[in-house]
Amino acid sequence: MNQPQWVLLPVIIPLAGAAVGLLLRHQRRVQAYGSLGVILTALAASLFLLGRVYTYGPQVAQLGGWAAPYGISLTADLTAALFVVMAQAVLSTGFIYALGCNDRCSRFPTFYPLFLTLSTGLTGVFLTGDLFNLFVFAELLVISGAALTAISDDPLGLEAAYKYFLISLLASLFLLVAAGSLYVSYGTLNLADLSARIAADPTRPLTGVAAACLVVFFLVKSAVAPFHFWQPDFHTVSPTAVSAMLSSVVVKVGVYGLLRMTTLWFVPFAAELRAFLIVAGLVGVIFGGLTAVGAQHAKRMLAYSTLGQIGFILVGIGWGTPLALTAALVYIINHSLIKSALLMIAGATASRAPVKSAAFSALRGVGKFTPLGGALFLLGGLALAGIPPTNGFISKLTLLRSGLALGDGWTLAGLAAGSLFSLVYVGRAYRNIWWLPAQGEIKPKAGGDRLLAPAVLVTLSLVLGIWAEPFVNLCLQAVAWMLNPAAYIALVLGG
Amino acid sequence: MNFLAWVFFAPLFCLLAALGVSLWARSARSSVRLGLLVSLAPLAAFLSVAAVLPRVTAGNPLRLNLPWMPSLGLEAAFFLDGLGALFALLISGIGVLVVLYAGYYFADHPEDAPRFFSLLMLFTAAMLGLVLAGDVITLFIFWEGTSVVSFLLVGFKHKDEAARRGALRAFWITGGGGLALLFGLLLLAEMAGSTRLSVILASGPVLRAHAHYPLALVLIALGAFTKSAQFPFHFWLPGAMSAPTPASAFLHSATMVKAGLYLVARLNPALGGTDLWFWLFSLTGMVTLLVGAWLGLRQRDLKALLAYSTISQLGVLMMLLGQDTSIAFKGFVIGVTAHALYKSALFLTAGAVDLAAGTRDLTKLGGLWKTHRGLGLAAGVAGLSMAGLPPLFGFLAKETLLAAVTHPNIPPVTSLVFTASTVIAGALMLAQAGRFVVDTFFGERPAAQPPARPLARAVAVLCAVPAGLSLLLTSLPEPEPIAAFLASAASAAYGGPVKVSLALWTGINPPLVLSVIAVSLGLFLFYRRARVIADQEFFSAWAGRPNLETPARAALRLLDRAAAVSLRTQSGKLRRYLAVILAASSLLVAYALLRQPIAFQSLAVPTPDLAGGLGVLRLFALLLVVGASAASVFLQRDLMAVLALGASGLSVAVLFALEPAPDVALVQIVVDLLVTTILILALRRIPRPLREQANDRRTASGSVRDALLAAAGGLWMAAVTLISLTSRPRVSIVTPFYEANAKPLTGARDVVGAIVLDFRGFDTLIEITVFAVASLGVYTLLRRGLGLYRAAHEMPADEKPHRSFLMGIGGQRPSALVRLLTDAILPLSMVIAVVHMMYGHDQPGDGFTAGVMVALATGLWHIVYGNREARRRLPWLHPTPLVAAGLLTVLVSASLGAWISGSFLSAVDFGKLWGLSLPPGFALSTAFFFEVGIFLVVLGSAARMLDTLAFGEEAAPRQGG
Repeated sequence: MNQPQWVLLPVIIPLAGAAVGLLLRHQRRVQAYGSLGVILTALAASLFLLGRVYTYGPQVAQLGGWAAPYGISLTADLTAALFVVMAQAVLSTGFIYALGCNDRCSRFPTFYPLFLTLSTGLTGVFLTGDLFNLFVFAELLVISGAALTAISDDPLGLEAAYKYFLISLLASLFLLVAAGSLYVSYGTLNLADLSARIAADPTRPLTGVAAACLVVFFLVKSAVAPFHFWQPDFHTVSPTAVSAMLSSVVVKVGVYGLLRMTTLWFVPFAAELRAFLIVAGLVGVIFGGLTAVGAQHAKRMLAYSTLGQIGFILVGIGWGTPLALTAALVYIINHSLIKSALLMIAGATASRAPVKSAAFSALRGVGKFTPLGGALFLLGGLALAGIPPTNGFISKLTLLRSGLALGDGWTLAGLAAGSLFSLVYVGRAYRNIWWLPAQGEIKPKAGGDRLLAPAVLVTLSLVLGIWAEPFVNLCLQAVAWMLNPAAYIALVLGG
Repeated sequence: MNFLAWVFFAPLFCLLAALGVSLWARSARSSVRLGLLVSLAPLAAFLSVAAVLPRVTAGNPLRLNLPWMPSLGLEAAFFLDGLGALFALLISGIGVLVVLYAGYYFADHPEDAPRFFSLLMLFTAAMLGLVLAGDVITLFIFWEGTSVVSFLLVGFKHKDEAARRGALRAFWITGGGGLALLFGLLLLAEMAGSTRLSVILASGPVLRAHAHYPLALVLIALGAFTKSAQFPFHFWLPGAMSAPTPASAFLHSATMVKAGLYLVARLNPALGGTDLWFWLFSLTGMVTLLVGAWLGLRQRDLKALLAYSTISQLGVLMMLLGQDTSIAFKGFVIGVTAHALYKSALFLTAGAVDLAAGTRDLTKLGGLWKTHRGLGLAAGVAGLSMAGLPPLFGFLAKETLLAAVTHPNIPPVTSLVFTASTVIAGALMLAQAGRFVVDTFFGERPAAQPPARPLARAVAVLCAVPAGLSLLLTSLPEPEPIAAFLASAASAAYGGPVKVSLALWTGINPPLVLSVIAVSLGLFLFYRRARVIADQEFFSAWAGRPNLETPARAALRLLDRAAAVSLRTQSGKLRRYLAVILAASSLLVAYALLRQPIAFQSLAVPTPDLAGGLGVLRLFALLLVVGASAASVFLQRDLMAVLALGASGLSVAVLFALEPAPDVALVQIVVDLLVTTILILALRRIPRPLREQANDRRTASGSVRDALLAAAGGLWMAAVTLISLTSRPRVSIVTPFYEANAKPLTGARDVVGAIVLDFRGFDTLIEITVFAVASLGVYTLLRRGLGLYRAAHEMPADEKPHRSFLMGIGGQRPSALVRLLTDAILPLSMVIAVVHMMYGHDQPGDGFTAGVMVALATGLWHIVYGNREARRRLPWLHPTPLVAAGLLTVLVSASLGAWISGSFLSAVDFGKLWGLSLPPGFALSTAFFFEVGIFLVVLGSAARMLDTLAFGEEAAPRQGG
């Protein structure tokens, strides 16, 4: 192959780093800072990849030199490259947070290697061009995430990890059925090849079943109601650095898949899928908003709010116009930054509480020990509620405009209700932590988790809210390319 | 860019001031000095706006369009005409006063001053941006900015429950209104085809004729009404009075609450003039006017009284905006100016009174005139203006208002109602002003109160400045420039020429007569105020308070209840979660199956080839699979169920072998053995009573649910399998390629080997990583998670260690024969492993089976020799380095492929490359290194799983492992 295989770097660098990290398990500091170096290198590689894709067009690597569809291809178009950059950037802040936190689990010798394999799994899912390969990466993602949660300082981490693992296993079963059905029907596993064949003959008896199974898989991954149950229990107890990753970038695996399903893999089914996604999105917006309003626990509230936010994204995918898809893409990336920042702030505040817990009752009055955390939380909360001048506003503005252009009034009304709910829960959370006086005298714990990582993320979300043009433009171009499946297929298959 | 366009950087001054204060003013010792310094920012803004007044008055608006998101057609556009300039001057001018005043207000708590100043400057920046915006999105951004800062300012004293409640309420109502506004503005932009104000203003006829006009108008009005505290959303404003007084003076009377009015005035040329517009704004304004005036009179708190009178005044202005006459807009600009001047003076006075007397409660005030003459004077002048008495600016405002509501263009009955309510409200306002001034400064100071504190003279001066201005504006020797400026503002709002004169005396005309009536009535009310207030209390108790507060609270309660109900779904029970997920996905799959008719005729029951000797074996294995699977479900003893599962797996292996697929069969066998071993080891760790309890927890309904779900799932799975077996046309693209090319391209005679190591080698790489991570997971779960879990649930560690695992079989030293076999099996397994690795590419068997076999052999050592002894005898078995080394081997060999032939994981035969002579059939290639890597990873991982599961936390972590 003549093309240098840059696509591989974001996947392979963390994997190699994990292996070396295992060898260095007795030099804790070397391992920790080395892992940070590795993930930052992976971020640099992702940015480099994005740059190459932007300049030279999508990058394809046929691994082992086997031409598609016989080998496994890794493909990076602008969408995938954006997702990879988003993932590695947020994961980098996760490492920074873990380095500055008091969780004892981050000192466990397998912590950083597992975090790195999580990164490999995540980037692999975004970059792979092969359905079975996607399954393998998804497994890596799940098993790394579950192990990281099981390590948690919270005694319930084990239970949450178990739930997450079993529910994900069920989802993987569906993915396997989908892969089998498609292989039986079309004789290939390469996604580009599959897309072309499905478009040519969508009436095979199992094509619809495969689509349904894939939808189930992605809905579980993205925690869409009623497939969301693992998510709130999970976020309450997993280590902050881990939960900040899972509720932000890892849940994006599902929406990434749904984006691909409606624009590339199952184009003949797109209309039906989109109609379904709008309904699923609305259910998520309302249900997620309601549960977030009712949650009595900061991290749980944020976890529920993810249900709602994913709902907004699904509606964007469901509308499916170029503008709506751009809005969805902008929303996806912005939400990753915001949600990880907020979970980190919640965790950092909890780390200062006398009894370490993110329940509002335990956090009362703790806010006054971390005014910087309060400012960051407020900005992040505004972003979550879509209030300017944050990037959350850009997402919501673009989404609403695309909906108005379509004239989908009822859906818009649902989104408005969801936005109102977000005002309620963000306002209340801020009041509960930073305004309500403590019950009785409380002493803060000295040296809580460092706020550097969320500060970076919140700054980024402000910058992306004010200087949004380059980012939005990138998303627009990504969508323009995404809506041209023929070009994608030709590129991968070399036709 | 016109250099005058620098005026648009006015908000930036305040923004920079806010930043500067929050960064460097932490150590400010004197809040007064800090106030002086900070006031430079609004002063600069004021001066820069004042500098462009001549041009703006002449009717030449300034514009500045900055690109923001050109790819979405959005820009940051700014625009300054008379209307914007009027508001900008009021904002920055009053801003200067308020900042200076706040310096004194915070003199006793200088530590709070920096936070307050930075918020105040942030707010000023947002407010200035709002009135300078030339694009509806730009406007909205600043609009939301004012709401957010207002939230923080109202909650400034957040130790106070009232402040917290007031802040949240203001945030929610203005935020909800903001949401409606965003929808409205976006709809407007969609209708006009641009978000730019100038385009929207120019496309009035199109907009008014558009089918979505009513919707857009109502949404925008919702935004304006919530912001400007119009009935029935007004109830947040009194609650917002928990803010520090300088903030109340600034936000909740002079500026922020006027943002709604500004917006309506701004859009009037485009959207106004319709019936809907008239009724929407005049009626809402009128009701607000009456409600505010009525409720204001009976307040005891000075700030609450001012809040309600503000509501009333905002109603007046909203009512004027609804009219389609030029005099209404004249009344609007005069009213805005007059109100801003006297109300800020009164608010500042209220704060000063609070500081001096220690209370704002009217029943505890009185007699302050003796000690605070300057303050009393300022309050008196401002109060007269509020009462609408000559020669003050407020008089002019009221005259114009009366002229507007009696304008012949308004339908007679409506005009009558408007006039009557204006007169009544005017009377009530006069009474309120009287209460404020007289009850505070005159009469006797209640004996129970401590003596009033002296105040800095500057405080009274600051209160007097706006009060004095309302006197000055009507008695200027040269009022023309100001009148012309106000006229340009009014014309911009009206969309046509408006004449403004500042002359107080216009002859005896209906407005003057009405004014006299209102004043007389007001004086009467004031004189009998005690009685009137008592009657009001009675009336209110009977009629209830006419606003949305109760419904809003009820809505919030309803929301909380709905939230609680939806939270109940998160029961924490995995079984229930899985059931819901399975049910939902079964529905989806069922829909997909049935969405196109199933071609039943093409479905044929597969007929297995049962002829011949192998046929019998196949039938036997098939029955065994079914029987063993059923047994694994129905056997009550878990150990037996696991064994049955193992048997079922082995039978599947037999079926594979008969296919013939020896590779797959081999892998199936070793995996089955490994899984069975792991399951038994894991079960062994759970105390028997707990294991038995698991069976007892089942309920009847739960069993029915599970059975139904299992049936549904099994049904669709069977259907899918049947369809895939019988209706597949077998068009595989890749299989023929693999079969044809395995040998020529990869040199492997074994197609499976070629697929695993070559064609889909990347899958293999990630799969072994998954395997490795799984083993790390087991390790971390048992080493760390379980200990924490036990500690939290106060579960004892197993009462006594399992002797069998520590000491060998059943705690007995195994017989020599067993030991001999054990000793032999490890080297034997290693030899097989080496063969597998060397020839795995060509023959059944590969690194994976090799790894599992050696791991199982070491497992046997653990069982026979006991944990400690086995570890002593197998010093090389360090799982973690094995795993890491294996992964690195694969990565290095794959990268070598990338280096030599340009593709990651591509095959390189080093033997051929270097001309080595090797045993026949063995190639020293990347495929071989791949096998070695897989072997190491699998051996390390499987050994670790067996080791940890068998001994778990009982065993001391070994050195290096």
